[in-house]
Amino acid sequence: MGGKVSCTLGEVKNRADLIIYWGGNPAECHPRHFTKYTLTQKGRYIPNGRKDRTMVLVDIRETPSAKAADIFLQVRPAKDFEVITVLRALIKGHAVDPELAAETGLSMEQLQDLADRMKKARFGVLFFGMGLSMTRGKHMNSAALLTLAAELNAYTKFVAMPMRGHGNVTGGDVIMRWTTGYPFGVSLSRGYPRFNPGEFSTIDLLIRGDCDAALILGADPGATMPQPAIDHLARIPTIVLDPKVTHTSRLARVHFTTAATGISAPGTVYRMDEIPLPLRPALKSPYPTDEEIVHRIYQAVAAKPPLPPAVMLSQATM
Amino acid sequence: MELTIVKNATCTFCGCVCDDIELHADGERITHTKAACVLGTSWFKNHTAERLYPDALIDGQPASVEDAIQAAADHLYQADMPLVYGLSNVTCETQREAVALAELIGGVIDSHTSL
Repeated sequence: MGGKVSCTLGEVKNRADLIIYWGGNPAECHPRHFTKYTLTQKGRYIPNGRKDRTMVLVDIRETPSAKAADIFLQVRPAKDFEVITVLRALIKGHAVDPELAAETGLSMEQLQDLADRMKKARFGVLFFGMGLSMTRGKHMNSAALLTLAAELNAYTKFVAMPMRGHGNVTGGDVIMRWTTGYPFGVSLSRGYPRFNPGEFSTIDLLIRGDCDAALILGADPGATMPQPAIDHLARIPTIVLDPKVTHTSRLARVHFTTAATGISAPGTVYRMDEIPLPLRPALKSPYPTDEEIVHRIYQAVAAKPPLPPAVMLSQATM
Repeated sequence: MELTIVKNATCTFCGCVCDDIELHADGERITHTKAACVLGTSWFKNHTAERLYPDALIDGQPASVEDAIQAAADHLYQADMPLVYGLSNVTCETQREAVALAELIGGVIDSHTSL
């Protein structure tokens, strides 16, 4: 994701006149996205709010979000990469084989119209969801879309932003980036960070049976992951931190009940546009926070004799 | 029970992280929310300050936090390739501690981003 051309949601609110949602259903998954940040708000350079903006929804099926859109483009499943590639060609004025374009499920007129709108926009934004990044092509789709946004800056101002699902998944990326240099899937087994999705991504690690213990916090993989991954979590010693006894807790060797983030635990959380926000908990939990438990586990491990080579290396630098 | 009102509370259910929510709480549970969406409202009302679960479980049996800390530390210390995973519904302060722990145990650290 290096070199991502992005902005804050405040800039979208104040400036964006073309808003494209791709492979996401904000009406059901991010209910206040339209009203708080993107569509309906009046902005500094968008004096009439919704009337000054055009919204395009690109998806494989007509979700409730389509009702909010001015233009709905129904792409054939698993053809997102092709649509993006055709758009990149049309924007640069290259000829596109109509037969290749027809495979996408969209007509040449629809594609040309979208390309024209993108070039003519004063400030365009592409919000992309898991319908793009988790289907055929996966991170290559995201990379193509980010390239499309970057290339459009030869003509106008254009940005892209992922629609992040879980509360502080953005914070996870940010924290891992400033501590290890990489956003996720980082191995510290040699005492220095190595990044390799596919090798160090959790589902791959679990399905291959590579890891021999797991600490799970802020997640419930026992309810969401593929069965072979869950089976491996049940085979190895798994430790869970969660405000509730979850599916993962039931297959774990150790479970800690912790205070609920933002409800009874204070701290900082990143919004999807990488703006950090403070939490204001309304309740006092009878349980310790995740932060306290992880810190105490750290201290308990640190009290043991160092293990070569990774532990010795890391301690030498601390 | 005393009613507390928290203004500009932050919702961590989805990536919007709306920070304009008003919460009314009676000490044990959040009774009323203003400005939150349907997902946010159910998120806030679904977590209470009640003691519904044991502090900790070891092999399914209730245990003290201190014993569970030792058990967790033993498992992670003995592992050749431990995994630290999740990090989505915890604070940045917790995530920083988790990275430090992953480095100490020479493990892999990963989040929902890799899914």
